[in-house]
Amino acid sequence: MNTLLERHQGCSGGYALLLEYVVCLAINIGLSDTAVMDMMVSTLQQQRSVTEQLRREAAIKRIPVSVAVADIVRFISEHEQEDCLLVGFTSQKVNPFREKSSCTVL
Amino acid sequence: MAADTAVTSSPEETLASLVKEAEALKQKLEEERQKLNDVTLSCVAERLEPITISNLKVRRILKGHQAKVLCCDWSPDKRHIVSSSQDGKLIVWDAFTTSKELTISMPSTWVMACAYAPSGNMLAAGGLDNKVTVFPLGGTAGEEDGATRKRTVATHTSYMSCCLFPNTDRQMLTGSGDGTCALWDIESGQLLQSFQGHSADVMSLDLAPSEMGDTFVSGGCDRGVLVWDMRSGHAVQAFDTHLSDVNSVRFHPAGDAVASGSDDSTCRLFDLRADREIARYSKESIIFGANAVEWSVSGRLLFAGYGDYTACAWDALRATRLALLPGHEHRLSALRLAPDGTALATASWDATLRIWA
Repeated sequence: MNTLLERHQGCSGGYALLLEYVVCLAINIGLSDTAVMDMMVSTLQQQRSVTEQLRREAAIKRIPVSVAVADIVRFISEHEQEDCLLVGFTSQKVNPFREKSSCTVL
Repeated sequence: MAADTAVTSSPEETLASLVKEAEALKQKLEEERQKLNDVTLSCVAERLEPITISNLKVRRILKGHQAKVLCCDWSPDKRHIVSSSQDGKLIVWDAFTTSKELTISMPSTWVMACAYAPSGNMLAAGGLDNKVTVFPLGGTAGEEDGATRKRTVATHTSYMSCCLFPNTDRQMLTGSGDGTCALWDIESGQLLQSFQGHSADVMSLDLAPSEMGDTFVSGGCDRGVLVWDMRSGHAVQAFDTHLSDVNSVRFHPAGDAVASGSDDSTCRLFDLRADREIARYSKESIIFGANAVEWSVSGRLLFAGYGDYTACAWDALRATRLALLPGHEHRLSALRLAPDGTALATASWDATLRIWA
């Protein structure tokens, strides 16, 4: 138990301090050594997955916003003519949801 | 690189070193993103011709649900719509004639999600029952027919908020109030992959439009938008600029950007390759949450449905509002574009759906 606690003496930053506090609290309220150890292991695992996630996010390739925006603008201009809600229908007859003429379908 | 060996943790890793590294990575991420932020979308868009839309109006009203409509989806035949409601019913509509073709009673009320299979031969739905139930369609048609051949596919530990078929009739992707997304095999009902990363309820899912279809995006009550690799099960990107719950996420048809709608009353556009927010759609007069977002075929128009009973169309590039779509008598819950882009379906808590064209 002591060796584990000693390892945490080196903790820096508010988050680590808080965790240390929680562990101390757990000891004080009389949780068994194994329970406290489980807590510490799971905290470590949790932090590991957070850090691993950030490593993955940091490792991705990025492109300048100007290039990304130019590609979006190009896609839109290439597809604008197919966009009925934007350019309308060549004739209302082509609109499947046009209002029916006065005679109704039986 | 460290990222590749991340899975095999070294014994030297201590809580302190991990926390320290996480903080350094966060800073590096922000710096890298900022470095590539060379222009703004609105600046580029100012050089484009302004657009107008004038003819968009309500063409059909679908009445028949007894309570809030919570979700809807178009059939690939571009004519039928399935909707799900708080009343516990799933209704298949002929959107051309507004007639109800099929009504299915679900095991519980609050059917929060429904979807058409890519073949058009199957429906999926679920909600407060924590499950997805799949109903085969066709064969001998008739009322309640699908209900007799239904099958439970997915089970979460909390409500199922969203579901979709990932370009196949064989699998189902779900999002849940338990904070996870999951991929299921429909035939066996087995869990194929669980996606853990949201720290609160998942509210919305969307599949990348590419043929590959191995990327999807999710939004949730942790205010986050996450981009997932379906094969590895890992979140590859995270966008956390929203100030409140993210209710809806939708891939831009070009495939490299995602729009989101949030309770912070804004919609935002995140570019995956630039790895950052590139546009924000908001107005001082819009104070209610954006519950649903949807794109037009070209991706020039972004539709959003709000808690103030209106939907509207944004010019996605200039970030200006082009048209207000009033008519519903309660908050909007879902927006869906017809597969051929000729019409927009809106679902509302006023128990109706409306078709705009």
